[in-house]
Amino acid sequence: MASNRPPPGHFELLYFAAASDFAGRNTENIPAPIVATDLFGVLEQRYPGITEKVLSSCAVTVNLQYVDLEGEDAADKDLIIQEGDEVAIIPPVSSG
Amino acid sequence: MSSVDAQIVALHAQIASCETQLQRLRDQLFEAESHRDISSGAATGQTPLSLVNVAPSSHPTETSEGFSHQEKGQKVAKIWPLDKHEYRRYGRQLIMSEIGLTGQLRLRSSAVLVVGVGGLGCPAAAYLAGAGVGTIGLIDGDTVEESNLHRQILHSTERVDMAKVDSAIASLKSLNPTVKYVPYHKRLTAEIALDIFDQYDVILDCTDTPASRYLISDSCVLLEKPLVSASALRTEGQLMVLNNPPLPAGNAQGGPCYRCVFPKPPPAASVVSCGDGGILGPVVGTMGVLQALETIKIITKGIQRSSEPPSLLLFSAFSNPPFRSIRLRTRKAKCSACSAQATVTREALESGSLDYVQFCGAVSPIDALAATERVSVVEYSRLYNSSDAAMNTQPSIKEHILVDVREKVQFELGNLEGSINIPYSAICRSSATASTDPLSQPPSEDGWVAQLRNLAEDRPIYVVCRLGNDSQLAVGKMKELGLDGGGTRWIGDIRDGLRAWRKRIDPDFPEY
Repeated sequence: MASNRPPPGHFELLYFAAASDFAGRNTENIPAPIVATDLFGVLEQRYPGITEKVLSSCAVTVNLQYVDLEGEDAADKDLIIQEGDEVAIIPPVSSG
Repeated sequence: MSSVDAQIVALHAQIASCETQLQRLRDQLFEAESHRDISSGAATGQTPLSLVNVAPSSHPTETSEGFSHQEKGQKVAKIWPLDKHEYRRYGRQLIMSEIGLTGQLRLRSSAVLVVGVGGLGCPAAAYLAGAGVGTIGLIDGDTVEESNLHRQILHSTERVDMAKVDSAIASLKSLNPTVKYVPYHKRLTAEIALDIFDQYDVILDCTDTPASRYLISDSCVLLEKPLVSASALRTEGQLMVLNNPPLPAGNAQGGPCYRCVFPKPPPAASVVSCGDGGILGPVVGTMGVLQALETIKIITKGIQRSSEPPSLLLFSAFSNPPFRSIRLRTRKAKCSACSAQATVTREALESGSLDYVQFCGAVSPIDALAATERVSVVEYSRLYNSSDAAMNTQPSIKEHILVDVREKVQFELGNLEGSINIPYSAICRSSATASTDPLSQPPSEDGWVAQLRNLAEDRPIYVVCRLGNDSQLAVGKMKELGLDGGGTRWIGDIRDGLRAWRKRIDPDFPEY
């Protein structure tokens, strides 16, 4: 997953662990800007079933910062993902 | 900033400064008391420590009492804070400003619990023992298996079948016999967690299930212990120092817990173990070594005094860059374990009302097919061998189709002659959308469906996998996609997969 600059008008999405298994890829470029809370909806359209099977338990980061998108009073519910941002989907890994 | 705000900031700063000073005084007291305790046993205990004979060659700390008389009690040799062998053994870390004498004394007086003595716990415990942690507790209910040895570096070929805890302690004793090792030959459960954790200063989560991760985190919050948590699968690893500083639930200055970062457990069916998913030794080893490092940092700095902001370190061994450090948020305002609204209480945990296994979803054996859709390996072997004798070449393909749904890399390790490999991951992806939105599918993913459709449609399809779970789900998906021609073609799976094949039919089939 070489971190390349996404093309203009896009952000780069990184998939880790179970998320990359489900999406069948480690990274992709997605049109920006979007409201962060809409991200799961966009991904569900691309990968039907991913919300329930993977995303619901995942951490989301934007530019290496954990973001809180869950619920009405989520701290980052108004966050906009901008062009050029690096967003990551991080499922909990429990094995060891 | 209002004057009240300014006052609050100033008070915080003042408290922090007092706490630092207090800790420094405690350290000085600790050292002074250890001098007094020893010298008070000597006849000439009043001799000022700074004036005593300090000739290193005649240094007495090798005697069991820790002191000696020289020149008929005229002089008492200085009692050094560390034993002679400790200066030698830990010399390379002692001379670093990050450790120093204070850090080494803290390590020696600390007790660390390693939960899980596998791919993470082995390297973590090895470095902690090497560094001179005073007491190391080890919990694990498993025995050593041959398939552990490529990564669980404290175990050895001779110790296969031995309890992991005993095997680990044998290695650790040989590495550093001066550490006290405490074995717990059991799996961690809610009934025993608090009693055990209470005796330790720092807890390392080196386990392998979601349920144990929540149990360990909750226990650490309740007992106010810092938690060093790591995990690894395939080529990736995660590391977090949680509940640090380990302040009481409800105190927003405390570090976040596991529930703050991952409030919802992953769906049980999606949880992959190292046994199923694979793991590269140095990947999990790296994470275990980092756990030891973070533990040493916490202890030598002084527990309760952490100032490092919380982070999640991601290691992805085949990516560039391989390491990413994620800044975490502080404690979640509504966290069920560490916030002021916590529902995870000591009583709830001890009474068993927090059912961790249920919370994470119990994985029941997959039983998705009717009996008529399944054959045993014995039944299948008759078919396999009879067609083999009759046809000689490409035997099983002529009469029926055998589909092996393991991933390609596993298929290549060994497969039944004539079988076709269609990985389960590809089957999963196709069936999810094939009927609703075919345009969104990359063309290659439908390739396997076309491939099967093009084979004579009256030949039955037998599906096999490693253990007999994926094969059942694959049969279901194939029927969903209409490959059974509305019931004209039989599709079913081979019960218990290639593991049963090896056990009952062909002992030479590779076991992995």
